[in-house]
Amino acid sequence: MGYQTTAEKINAIFSDLSKDYLIYAPKRFVGDGTFTYIDTIRYGEITDLAEIEFAEKSNYSFKEVLLPISETLFYFTENEMKEADAPKKGAIVFLRSCDLHGLKRMDTIYLENGGVDTYYKRLRDHTKFILMGCENSFENCFCVSMGTQTSEDYDAYLKVDGDNVLVDSRWDYLDAALAGATQAPVIADSVTANDTVVTIPETVPQTLFDDPFWEEYGNRCIACGRCNFVCPTCTCFTMQDIFYTDNGKAGERRRVWASCHVDGYTDMAGGHAFRNDKGQRMRFKVLHKVNDYKRRFGTHMCIGCGRCDDVCPEYISFANCINRLNTLVNDTVKEEN
Amino acid sequence: MTELNPYIPFLSKITEVIKHTEIEFTFRMTYSGDVKPGQFFEVSLPKFGEAPISVSGIGDGTVDLTIRKVGKVTDEIFENYVGDTLFLRGPYGNGFDIANYKGKEILLVAGGTGLSPVKGIVDYFSAHPEDCKGFTLLVGFKSPKDMLFKKDFEIWKKNINVIMTVDYPDEHYDGNCGLVTQYIPELMIKGLTDAVGIVVGPPIMMKCTINDLLAKGFKEENLWISQERKMCCGIGKCGHCKIDDTYICLDGPVFNYTKGKFLKD
Amino acid sequence: MLDLNTKKIKKNAYRVTKVRGETASRVRVPGGLLTAELLPLIQNIAETFGNGRIHLTTRQGFEIPGIKYTDMDAVNALLQPIIDKLEINQEIPGKGYTSAGTRNISACIGSNTCPFATYNTTNFAQKMEKEIFPNDLHFKVAFTGCANDCIKTRMHDFGIIGMTEPQYEKERCMGCQACVKACKKKSVDALSVENYRIVRNTEKCVGCGECVINCPTRAWTRSPVTYYRLVIMGRTGKRNPRLAEDFLVWATEDAIIKIIKNTYGFVNNYIDREAPGGKEHIGYIIDRTGFEEYKKWAMEGVELDPRTIVKGPVYWSGIHYDGK
Ligand SMILES: Cc1cc2nc3c(=O)[nH]c(=O)nc-3n(C[C@H](O)[C@H](O)[C@H](O)COP(=O)(O)OP(=O)(O)OC[C@H]3O[C@@H](n4cnc5c(N)ncnc54)[C@H](O)[C@@H]3O)c2cc1C
Ligand code: HEM
Ligand code: HEM
Ligand code: SF4
Ligand code: SF4
Ligand code: SF4
Ligand code: SF4
Ligand code: SF4
Ligand code: FES
Repeated sequence: MGYQTTAEKINAIFSDLSKDYLIYAPKRFVGDGTFTYIDTIRYGEITDLAEIEFAEKSNYSFKEVLLPISETLFYFTENEMKEADAPKKGAIVFLRSCDLHGLKRMDTIYLENGGVDTYYKRLRDHTKFILMGCENSFENCFCVSMGTQTSEDYDAYLKVDGDNVLVDSRWDYLDAALAGATQAPVIADSVTANDTVVTIPETVPQTLFDDPFWEEYGNRCIACGRCNFVCPTCTCFTMQDIFYTDNGKAGERRRVWASCHVDGYTDMAGGHAFRNDKGQRMRFKVLHKVNDYKRRFGTHMCIGCGRCDDVCPEYISFANCINRLNTLVNDTVKEEN
Repeated sequence: MTELNPYIPFLSKITEVIKHTEIEFTFRMTYSGDVKPGQFFEVSLPKFGEAPISVSGIGDGTVDLTIRKVGKVTDEIFENYVGDTLFLRGPYGNGFDIANYKGKEILLVAGGTGLSPVKGIVDYFSAHPEDCKGFTLLVGFKSPKDMLFKKDFEIWKKNINVIMTVDYPDEHYDGNCGLVTQYIPELMIKGLTDAVGIVVGPPIMMKCTINDLLAKGFKEENLWISQERKMCCGIGKCGHCKIDDTYICLDGPVFNYTKGKFLKD
Repeated sequence: MLDLNTKKIKKNAYRVTKVRGETASRVRVPGGLLTAELLPLIQNIAETFGNGRIHLTTRQGFEIPGIKYTDMDAVNALLQPIIDKLEINQEIPGKGYTSAGTRNISACIGSNTCPFATYNTTNFAQKMEKEIFPNDLHFKVAFTGCANDCIKTRMHDFGIIGMTEPQYEKERCMGCQACVKACKKKSVDALSVENYRIVRNTEKCVGCGECVINCPTRAWTRSPVTYYRLVIMGRTGKRNPRLAEDFLVWATEDAIIKIIKNTYGFVNNYIDREAPGGKEHIGYIIDRTGFEEYKKWAMEGVELDPRTIVKGPVYWSGIHYDGK
């Protein structure tokens, strides 16, 4: 149901909701960026609509709400384990259309592939998603190429339009809370074209895995992992066991984000690594995003948010890599015929 | 919570420790659920971490874990196993399906600790030689000192054809020497069209052995391998073991060669 | 028939040059940053009254040589829009630069462009300009964005080196150790890992911010306040060239401004009026009075942040050509 209401009304509803939910949205963290006086837009708790950064794309995605960068799994003493408490409140997450598609990718890994992940599910089950529209495409977005520019899988859509707030609700609670508000048809803003357009090679022959094409990336990539950490669809983690320095017998096991670009990702005992070459790591990531995942789960993993291109300190463009790879694949196929 | 938390390990008692070498012991652990050879457990030591370890034997209410001491977790297991329990989660992975090999002529080639994940297969056919047309175990160790499962070899030798070789013999050793691949040409395999080859060991050894078996006439679809990769979760979440669209922890570690040959890191 | 008061000329930022009858005008650019629209004005002076050439000075100014002493007033008139635009503290409007003792405050490019800079060096330089100009005493002050010290603050009476106090949010750290590697390879190796978390050795840390720059997850961020290392009494010259030594570490902007202003009082009190041209360099004055006396004057009424480390006694080295 669509409504036209006011920021005050929404903030009052937020205030009621805050008894049961923490509300997360992209926020401006002033001066928190890589360089001096550069802000970061990333997820944080909000209590007021005004805190939400609607005008810009967030540098980091919403995924840290459902999959914290560092998450305690359980506490242990000598012979006992205790599962870390679930968050006391559910979550409400503001995010864009492409990100909602990213959520599906996370669900696939954490709820389906190999069974259900307790920690993800217990928060996911109590999370509501509020769509933020896109009036214009941001730099580096290629959601249209990935078919993620619209999404229906939201609990509500919300747009601040001058003094008005437009809401499309699919959530009983919100419908009840907005009962008195003016009803109006509300359609989510979405883009129909991006400056960046990618063409994905549907299959990349294994013979191209060692192509000199990847060497260039090997020379450029510094294995910092930023492209993975900002990506809403990268879900990898590593486990860490720690013991408390004040009580050596007790400790906790936690998981932290991992990146297939960063050293150590494939290391085995004795130091053998399966992908030491940074070009091969690039190949592995790129093909996971637009080949492997689809073969296993039916959709591309990448949702075209362009954050990896926004963040790479070495100006490596993932989107351009896909397009170049497509040309390479076509040329190779032609040569073989 | 309705579903069991897959990350929380359970306690298992160490009922016996069999010392093969200085750095390789078999830990016989209490476990009574379903388990197949080639599957693995995450051995979980609070404060130190986890290590995926293959099932090297299946007993009545027990599983064997043959562990090589190589780093943080495994060092701690060796130093403190006197504590007589370990935490485990699993079993994970697909494991070897004995049914795939029944009634066939079987050649099992293993290198070093690679014998662990396939030992259950050897045990089975050693106990039921009538279930296959013939069973040859071809196994190589670095040196006589590195030999695993010495007692089991005594039993196997009675029931199946065993060829054991070492890379570096010492003065007391009077058996076969050299790489396992040296012994492949002389093997007498009768029905190559449906003979089964199972190959587990270090990556290079697997590659050379497979090539030799193919050259000898084994069919790709009759060859089986087991892969080791870095693993953190064992349940398809952490991503570390992924190759192409395959999760080694879920879809493997055992692969038919028709699939396994396409796995490229 | 030229009849000139060279002292006045020098105060007016003109130079007595080796060419009889010709002077050179010096255009100071505080903080080293100017808008391009000023360049044609400088060009015009050089072409109309100078010899068409411009020298880029070491302290980020323009020296316009070949000007007739008789054209100084005309040049001053042309300098006025430049002086206005650069917001130079000027005593007598229309009369050009009214003092040249305290040298142009120079600054590296700083946070406007440089990825390493921890603050806006130009802004601080301009702020300092407002506080201490115009002044006849010979002071050299320079601002640099980070410990790389590209402006060479260590060759100045006062060098201000930016520092950030890295803030660690452990819940955002995934243990990639990019910070540890960066600090070890590019800086002072102040970071180590304990229980998968990063520990910063606060005594070693120089506040360069490499950890912040290299952290991929914003576990390290900058402190909201910028801190500074104040290095003092570096110099070049004939007798005893030497590098400036640390005086304050983790100091605030206010403390630095106050200390430099206090130093003018110290110099006024102790300067040797008999020195050639009545000029004696601060460094040599401190050599005479002793560091503790200087410190007493410098720290008068200075409020320090609890983080600030005050060094002392400070010793300088350098080469002594004067045999002392
Ligand atoms: C499916 C599978 C079956 C295995 N079976 C056996 C077995 O039967 N016997 C045996 O001795 N070893 C086996 N390994 C290897 C064993 O898991 C490693 O030797 C062990 O993880 C080393 O742990 P560590 O902490 O002692 O060494 P470290 O070098 O300190 O390990 C550090 C980290 O690296 C990871 N790691 C290191 N080596 C491996 C590896 N080979 N595989 C996966 N992760 C690794 C672990 O996650 C560990 O946290 C198997 C590995 C896999 C994947
Ligand atoms: C009559 C005395 C002096 C005059 C008129 C004078 C004049 C100047 C001027 C005008 C400059 C600035 C040039 C620019 O803008 O780039 C300068 C720079 C300099 N002066 Fe002097 N100076 C005097 C004495 C000294 C003394 C006594 C020393 C050292 C002991 C000294 C060391 C320097 C140095 C090293 C510079 C280089 C600029 C820098 O700091 O990087 N000067 N001098
Ligand atoms: C990525 C690293 C660096 C880059 C790209 C860089 C670049 C530059 C450039 C372009 C200049 C010339 C500026 C001019 O024209 O005046 C310069 C000057 C200078 N740099 Fe760097 N620099 C780097 C690192 C450093 C480091 C680490 C130091 C000190 C340890 C340093 C010290 C200096 C100094 C002192 C100068 C001034 C030299 C002069 O007076 O001519 N730089 N640098
Ligand atoms: S962000 Fe760029 S440099 Fe960093 S790992 Fe990714 S591709 Fe490499
Ligand atoms: S790969 Fe890049 S464009 Fe695709 S979803 Fe991840 S961050 Fe966005
Ligand atoms: S791209 Fe790399 S970090 Fe991202 S999910 Fe795939 S394997 Fe993991
Ligand atoms: S600020 Fe510089 S010196 Fe301090 S910890 Fe970070 S990298 Fe190291
Ligand atoms: S760079 Fe950042 S994420 Fe990596 S170890 Fe350092 S603080 Fe942690
Ligand atoms: S071990 Fe984690 S996904 Fe396979």
